[in-house]
Amino acid sequence: MKVPEFSPGLEGVVAAETAVSEVDGANGRLIYRGGYLIEDLAKVASFEETSYLLWNGALPDKRELETLRHQMAAARRLKDSARDALKCLEADTDPMDVLRTIVSAQGAAKAITKPTLDEAIALTAVFPTIVAASFRRRQGTEPLEPREDLGHAANLLWMMEGREASPERVHWLDTYLVLLADHGLNASTFTARVIASTGSDLASCVVGAIAALKGPAHGGATYAARSMLDKIGSAENAEKWLREQHAQHARFPGFGHRVYRTYDPRAKILREMAKEAAPELYKTAAHTEEVALQILHEAHPDRPNATNVDFWASVVLTGVGIPKELFTCLFATSRVAGWTAHVLESLADLRLIRPASVWKGPQPGNKPLPIASR
Amino acid sequence: MSQYVPGLEGIVAAQTAISLVDGANGRLVYRGYVIADLAEEMSFEEVAHLLWYGRLPVRAELDALTLELAGSRALTPAAMTTLEALPQDTDPMDVLRSVVSVQGIEHRLEKPTIPLAIHATASFPTILASFHRRQLGLPPVKPRADLAHAANYLYMLSGKESSPELVRALNTYLVLLADHGMNASTFTARVIASTDSDLASCLVGAIGALKGPAHGGAPSQVMDQLEQIGSPENAEHWMREARKRKVRFMGFGHRVYRTYDPRAKILKAMCERLNPTFYALASKVEETALAILHEEHPERPQATNVEFYSAGVLQAIGLPKAFFPPTFAVSRAAGWTAHVLEQVANNRLIRPQSEYIGPEPRKPVPLAERG
Repeated sequence: MKVPEFSPGLEGVVAAETAVSEVDGANGRLIYRGGYLIEDLAKVASFEETSYLLWNGALPDKRELETLRHQMAAARRLKDSARDALKCLEADTDPMDVLRTIVSAQGAAKAITKPTLDEAIALTAVFPTIVAASFRRRQGTEPLEPREDLGHAANLLWMMEGREASPERVHWLDTYLVLLADHGLNASTFTARVIASTGSDLASCVVGAIAALKGPAHGGATYAARSMLDKIGSAENAEKWLREQHAQHARFPGFGHRVYRTYDPRAKILREMAKEAAPELYKTAAHTEEVALQILHEAHPDRPNATNVDFWASVVLTGVGIPKELFTCLFATSRVAGWTAHVLESLADLRLIRPASVWKGPQPGNKPLPIASR
Repeated sequence: MSQYVPGLEGIVAAQTAISLVDGANGRLVYRGYVIADLAEEMSFEEVAHLLWYGRLPVRAELDALTLELAGSRALTPAAMTTLEALPQDTDPMDVLRSVVSVQGIEHRLEKPTIPLAIHATASFPTILASFHRRQLGLPPVKPRADLAHAANYLYMLSGKESSPELVRALNTYLVLLADHGMNASTFTARVIASTDSDLASCLVGAIGALKGPAHGGAPSQVMDQLEQIGSPENAEHWMREARKRKVRFMGFGHRVYRTYDPRAKILKAMCERLNPTFYALASKVEETALAILHEEHPERPQATNVEFYSAGVLQAIGLPKAFFPPTFAVSRAAGWTAHVLEQVANNRLIRPQSEYIGPEPRKPVPLAERG
């Protein structure tokens, strides 16, 4: 076989066949397993239903959903050793570092096991426990026990705040979790699939995915978008701030995407929700978006410079009451459903992912000199 | 969009000057030097310098690097307590994955640099040796700054200085395994680095990938299989029977090499010297395995890979089976970090495409109307 030319970033290279989700960038569509468009699904399905869909390939009926809810609710507690490990970390540790470590500790086992659906369910169920504990420790309060009678989103807010959140906040959070649950072969999902391809266990795949999501060029963008809005401060200040930044060649977080050539369908839904969830911030954000798109269009009329999901997610999560330090963790709390679905899918036809590289070093054959002669 | 190639076989995912696996000619090249020329002459420190800086060190540089590695061996208090929080029977690979994660917290989202690479590489033996001692119910042994990487690892495991012969054997193993092109764990580290994540994140991902039996998990499985075979006399019978049950022979075959793995050749000679009992069994098993595999697929190159004789060398050094894969990580940490630095120097987010094979778009049915 002829070795193809190097495509930096593997752009355009097909690295997997998948039925879990499809990003149809040209038409601005995100399709989840079963063939559902994200905008249709977000209207009718909870995060638990969406996870069921990603894992099993079909939406659950009432009984199947009840079973899943029970299974998830029962799996929310950390193992003793993971709980002990959590106490070893400084209270002000970055929540993503806490998540990376405690998921690793929770998944630590005596011997390697092949990933299973039950493990996927349990691992997904425990994320809010870690994220909420991380939040409370940063605040100087003790972590709370999970509540089995609450849904995934409601329980996360309960464990953070120690009181039941309003139905609206639960709904916004739940919708966010549905929207971010999968997105084709993004860098963290691809990481999970590469690790799975070696026959490794589910915790290793998910820890690697968290590690990739942590990068500012991937999951860190929601935080960056919110920080930008903080710096802009008000709608009136947007134009001046953005023009100055642009003059210094700074990038605008929350704009641009490798795949979408139109408005990100998730951003569209989040934008609508943001009006209600965070009306004040919405005003600043909407004006910021307008100006940013204008500046980017002036600079690169040829490029599609659409708002991405991170921009509006940062506004909605603010409305839910999540501090920006937790944004990347919230992204992980949603995407773990997709990561685990991809790992389980890849098991059906497991083949080691081991690409090639092009040699750019010196021609082989030089004999190394012993140290005394160097 | 290109066609889907399973396993990305033959797809170029990076340009690298760190190592070249010349599979057709059975050569492994580190920064221009053929592995056979480095293996028994160089210390792990010299090779790590070569991988990180692109050239072999002069004496002053080697002394500086040795000192810096030795000075970075201690674990942070949080890392040490986390290590103690994990159950005693935990797989050491899971301990390594978890504690490397904690150890990296102090360098959160820093851009990877050579000093950070040195710092992380230095900590691996401390984590493993401390956990090994804990399993034995013994207190951890403080690292010794006057010992080199290989000697200090053995010292921290046992609490006493090992013989020069064993130190040399471990050093050669660490040199041989330090890098190997775009293997799955190295590729994982580069994908994670491509998101601008930090070095600890790249390393925990790489450890997770190395853990898989199709990658670094193989040497302990080689040992399992040899234990089942038991004796050279039993090899032929056991293996022919196993084959009828479609059992895979562990330690054979490789995606890239079409000839005998140059590292396996060196490790084999070391086994003969250091671990004669293992060698007697293993060489008979190898001979039988190659004969059977050749009968089945005469067209395929079915050479012994590095995992096979690694097992015998690591056993001779005194490591328990569960510590074979993480000791692989002790070596490969040098290569992983070198690749991360190379990726970061000329970065682009690694985000391939997938091909959707699910149903065409349709409307979801609300819960109340489902079944």
